[in-house]
Amino acid sequence: MDRPTKRFLVANLLFTAGYLAVTGVMLAGVFLGPRYGILHPLTGPVRWGMSLCFGLFMVGQLWATLVLIRDSDEFVRGVLARQFILASGLAIASYSAWGFAEVFAGAQHIPGFMVYFLFWLFLGAVRPFVRSTR
Amino acid sequence: MKNQVRLLRSGRRWTQEELGRRLGVSRQAVNAIETEKHDPSLDLAYRIAAIFGLAVEQIFENGHADKTQDE
Repeated sequence: MDRPTKRFLVANLLFTAGYLAVTGVMLAGVFLGPRYGILHPLTGPVRWGMSLCFGLFMVGQLWATLVLIRDSDEFVRGVLARQFILASGLAIASYSAWGFAEVFAGAQHIPGFMVYFLFWLFLGAVRPFVRSTR
Repeated sequence: MKNQVRLLRSGRRWTQEELGRRLGVSRQAVNAIETEKHDPSLDLAYRIAAIFGLAVEQIFENGHADKTQDE
C-alpha cells in the first residue's frame, strides 16, 4: 500500500472514531443515561454543538479524500474522482427519491444523516466496477 | 490508447513496480496504461518516452493521424 493511501486510511479511521465517539456520548447523554438515572440529560446548546461535530468529522473525511487525490498519481486520481462522483451522485439521487416518496407516497421518514452512510455504501458498491479512467 | 509499453518494459526485464518507480507513478498506473484502461497525460507520455529513449509516437499509436491527413 502506498503512502497517500495509508495516510488516507489512518485519517479516515481517526475521523470515524471521533464520529462514533460523539455518537456514543450523544446516545448516552440524551437517551440512555437519563432514562436509567446514570447521567443528567445534555442541554440544548450541547446537543447543537455535538450535532455540528458530526458535520466536522465529515468535513475531515472530505479533506482526507482531497489530500489523497492530490498526492496520488494521475491514474489513481482519475479513478478515485470517478468513484467518488458516482457514489455521491447515487447517494444524493436515492436519498432525494426517498424524500419524494416520504412526501407523496407516505414512505417512512429516514433521518438526513443517513445520506452519509448511503454514500459509503455506494462507494463500496461502485469500487469493483470503476477501475479505469476511460 | 494502443501502446508498446508492456513490450518495452519486458524487453528490459522490469516489473510494473520498477517502471512505476522510475516514472514516479503507482504500479496500478503502469498496469492501466499497458491494458489501455488509462490514456496517460502528455507529461507522463513524455516521461515514458524519455525512459525508453524513444519518441512518443514510437510508443503510443496516434489514432488521429489518419484524420489529420484526410483534412
